[in-house]
Amino acid sequence: MIHLKVTNLHKRFGGLHVLKGVNLEVNGPELIGVLGPNGAGKTTLTNILDGAIKPTSGTVYLNGERIDQLKPYEVARAGLGRTFQVTRSFRRMTVLENLYVPALALGHMGQGRALTDRATEVLEFLTIDHLRNEYARALSGGQQKLLELGRLLMLDPDVIILDEPFAGVHPRLMEVIYAYIRRMKSEGKAIILISHQMDAIFALSERLIVLNFGELIADGKPEDVKNDPAVIEAYLGRDDEEEDAA
Amino acid sequence: MRQVPNIAGLGLVLFFAAFPLVYTGGNYDYVMHVLITGFFYAILASSWSMLAGYAGQFSFGHMAFMGIGAYGAALFSHYFYLTSAPTGTCTEVAFFGNWLVIKNAIGVTSTTLTQDCLQQAIAGWGDSVQVWRMPVLLGIVLGTVAGGLAGLLVGLLVLRLRAAYLALFTLGFSEIIKAVISAEIDITRGQAGMVLPALFDNGVVILGTEFSRTDKIPPYYAMFFLLLLCLLILTWLARSRFGLFVRALREDADAAAALGVNTTRYKVFVFTITTAMAASAGAVQAHYIQIVTPNMLFLLQMSLVVAMAVIGGVENFVAAALGAIFLQIMLELMRTSFSIGGVAVDMTVWRLVFFGVLLMVVLRFFRNGLIAPLIDYFARAGMAEETIAKRAAGAGETQP
Amino acid sequence: MQTPEIFWTVILWMIGWGVLGAVLLRRRYLARDLDTSNVPFAGAMAGAALGPVGVGLLWLRTPALSARLTTALALLAVVLIAAAFSFADPENNCVANGAFRASQITNGIIIGIIYGFMALGLTLIFSILGVVSFAHGEFYMIGGMLVYYITVVWFPDAGPLMGVLGACFIAFCIGAVFERAMLTPMYTGKIDRPVEYGILATFGLAFTLQYFVQAMHGASPVKVQRFVDFPRLRFPDGTETAWVTTSRGNLTLFETVSISNPRFVAAVTCILVLLALLYLLHRTWTGKALRAVSQDREAAAIAGIDPNRMNMLAFALGGMIAALAGALLVQAFSWLPQVGAIPAMRSFVIVVLGGLGSLPGAFVGGIMVGLVEAAGTGCIPDAQKAASYIPAYGMIVLTLTLLLRPTGLFGRRFSSGMHGQGG
Repeated sequence: MIHLKVTNLHKRFGGLHVLKGVNLEVNGPELIGVLGPNGAGKTTLTNILDGAIKPTSGTVYLNGERIDQLKPYEVARAGLGRTFQVTRSFRRMTVLENLYVPALALGHMGQGRALTDRATEVLEFLTIDHLRNEYARALSGGQQKLLELGRLLMLDPDVIILDEPFAGVHPRLMEVIYAYIRRMKSEGKAIILISHQMDAIFALSERLIVLNFGELIADGKPEDVKNDPAVIEAYLGRDDEEEDAA
Repeated sequence: MRQVPNIAGLGLVLFFAAFPLVYTGGNYDYVMHVLITGFFYAILASSWSMLAGYAGQFSFGHMAFMGIGAYGAALFSHYFYLTSAPTGTCTEVAFFGNWLVIKNAIGVTSTTLTQDCLQQAIAGWGDSVQVWRMPVLLGIVLGTVAGGLAGLLVGLLVLRLRAAYLALFTLGFSEIIKAVISAEIDITRGQAGMVLPALFDNGVVILGTEFSRTDKIPPYYAMFFLLLLCLLILTWLARSRFGLFVRALREDADAAAALGVNTTRYKVFVFTITTAMAASAGAVQAHYIQIVTPNMLFLLQMSLVVAMAVIGGVENFVAAALGAIFLQIMLELMRTSFSIGGVAVDMTVWRLVFFGVLLMVVLRFFRNGLIAPLIDYFARAGMAEETIAKRAAGAGETQP
Repeated sequence: MQTPEIFWTVILWMIGWGVLGAVLLRRRYLARDLDTSNVPFAGAMAGAALGPVGVGLLWLRTPALSARLTTALALLAVVLIAAAFSFADPENNCVANGAFRASQITNGIIIGIIYGFMALGLTLIFSILGVVSFAHGEFYMIGGMLVYYITVVWFPDAGPLMGVLGACFIAFCIGAVFERAMLTPMYTGKIDRPVEYGILATFGLAFTLQYFVQAMHGASPVKVQRFVDFPRLRFPDGTETAWVTTSRGNLTLFETVSISNPRFVAAVTCILVLLALLYLLHRTWTGKALRAVSQDREAAAIAGIDPNRMNMLAFALGGMIAALAGALLVQAFSWLPQVGAIPAMRSFVIVVLGGLGSLPGAFVGGIMVGLVEAAGTGCIPDAQKAASYIPAYGMIVLTLTLLLRPTGLFGRRFSSGMHGQGG
């Protein structure tokens, strides 16, 4: 059973108090949407979970293992994967090689035939199998997003953080990403979805949390959160979120 | 089609393996010397291309590691001896019934060579005591290890440095090594250089043929096999997960780490292995030319290696090695000076001008070098057709 | 040196505590989640200057590391080295002889101004293009060579002014043409690793220029007569110690400090050109455009500035500055095609020390390097070893700066967004 527990997480950058005691618990397969105005601390939270930065205080446990002091690659091996807001495919490597990196880094998918089959299956699911031997830089922006999601499938983590997966993606490919998220969910993974696109968040998530100025101001079912006065206040006069999505 | 590079590669290996035996043209020793130097540069260029092209670590200190290998071997053969009796004056330890003698450093002031403690002891002994040099191979191994250790250290230090900062740091490291070697005249003999024994100082018998120490064939094959060994190791590394990970590291270290790649380990590892290769080339070359001087470490030497790798193709170490061999041959061919209409053209310098222009032209218009795209063309033959065919076939089903 | 043990013990003590301070305090500041960008450097300086006391105090108090505190610690460390040195070697020329010391310091500053000026060109190129130009030493070399060829070989009647202006003009053109021909693909995003491409391209230029000059000129050294003679002067006249006395080739301050004419002229010219450059950068549209591009290329482009033209201008200007430094120093040193290597290395040290891309940093860094070199040549007992080690000292400073404080001592006034840290 997947269990991610974030306890009283603080992060200061010099005088700036970015996270002020965030508590979060994720149990089992779950799809959590994360909302918050710019500067609310979403990216910082992601980076702490991923191991890229260390929290000032507080702990993060994943399946009973403490991960907040681990390095990013150790966090990935412990079972937490993420995508980046700006696509970061390995541009001068082929699509297949991109997929092999996480699989071989963890060594959990074997080698040779088994690995190729698995990668083929992932590529077919993401509808980019015909590009398998192309260099990643030859792919369109949306296809590169899919490739990044494919790498996560090969990493096969328990908890997945998707940072703006819909930004700048063609509507047709958006359908693929929807299918991807549902598949991850059905495979029993916990998905943390960070997006500025309200419609997507509300369509997909079962649970919604809202960050504002480093604090978790709401946590619950999407429809409840929508009507939460604190959330409305945080977003009052701020309906320009879409422009930052890219 | 895809086998063309492999077949061509095998053909080249066979050609170079057979060349000294079938070549009957003039200037035999000179031609062999050019090729041996070409192999030497090929090892440096291919290991640098693994470091810079594969792993993206643009180090300008590669020649410093070569120098550490060369000087490691030179210092070892210069200062360490085995004797059958204690000298009483040198630093020495018992060693399986004999004595391991470490000579004292006397610098270049002693032109007579009789002033160091071992020479004095020999003068006193007469012929009654045997003195052995250390094995050349051991010196080469130690030089390689020293280079690798230095590479490990530098690799650890530069973990946080990127791009221009890394280039400057490694350049600085290289200059420090050069300055230390030039300045510590007591130990390294400074600009006077250190003399080493030949690779096969007592001659060698290969397949029943006896070769003297000045014959070119033994060092030719020594350097050639070292090159093949390095290329084999590099090929094995490049095809294993190591190659995949260092390329991922080059493209995006953070993304690679987020996918579970221990980027620190691979970065340090690639530094260690490539610098060890450079050091081994340096050690063998030092024994081949039998003298090492600080001038081996000039930035010019580094620029030659960089230029060779770039012109061959920096992202393919085989191409870099071939580029080094061909450019070395070409540079030697262009040495002949001539005069047009009474104006003497000193080709010993003009060829380097030509080389610099070639480097810039290749950089500007053939970004992947001249040889690498050829290999790539054959290795990726049919890929584009495959993509198109697959898209056509899969169009019906996969489109939502 | 009478008691070198004392000196080396002090140095080892300082290094030991410096390393400890840099490593431990960085951890400490990280654990307390304070800004760590200054910590390794300040920690090293605290350890070197005050040993366990300094490291301990910083460990306990973890104060904000202001520039003033860091500078004070660094100065203290320097004073400590000087004190240890004078204690260990009381009869050394630069301990016992005050006049010699004053002379070394003055000449160190004079030559440092020229070093700083040359490094300014490198940092200008870096701040706009994000490229460390490896051809900087070659621009310096052709500057001097061109002055020789213009005033001696081609137009023996031309004055030194024509020679210097001609050298600047030609170097400017070479820089501009090279930038157009070689560096333009960097900006279009077609190159995956623009920084490395720029380094390799300038490397190629350096190679070509050096051997081109060698092929054209040969390996014989050249020298140029000094540009101007001082008038004979003694001021104030009649007193026992005049403040300033000049002969044709020399200038003496207070009867003790002697400065050679070529260096003095070069330094004064550098200061004048520097002032002109500052005027250009801060008061003219072109200069403001240059600075805008160095801060944010995209925003500058939106504001109607063509960043590509600014790139060309910056590279050409940077090359011209190096050439001018060479053109001014050719009257002081003999000139060879290889003469650029050491000044180029020195410029790298200076710009890293001052912070890549920081113009004031380059100038202050230049003066610091000038002083250190003067101290090195004047004070180290074994002159031969000192001469071999002087380039190495610079490189040690360079590598240490990169490890302790990659942004240099003066931060980055001119930071460039897209470059430098890529890859």
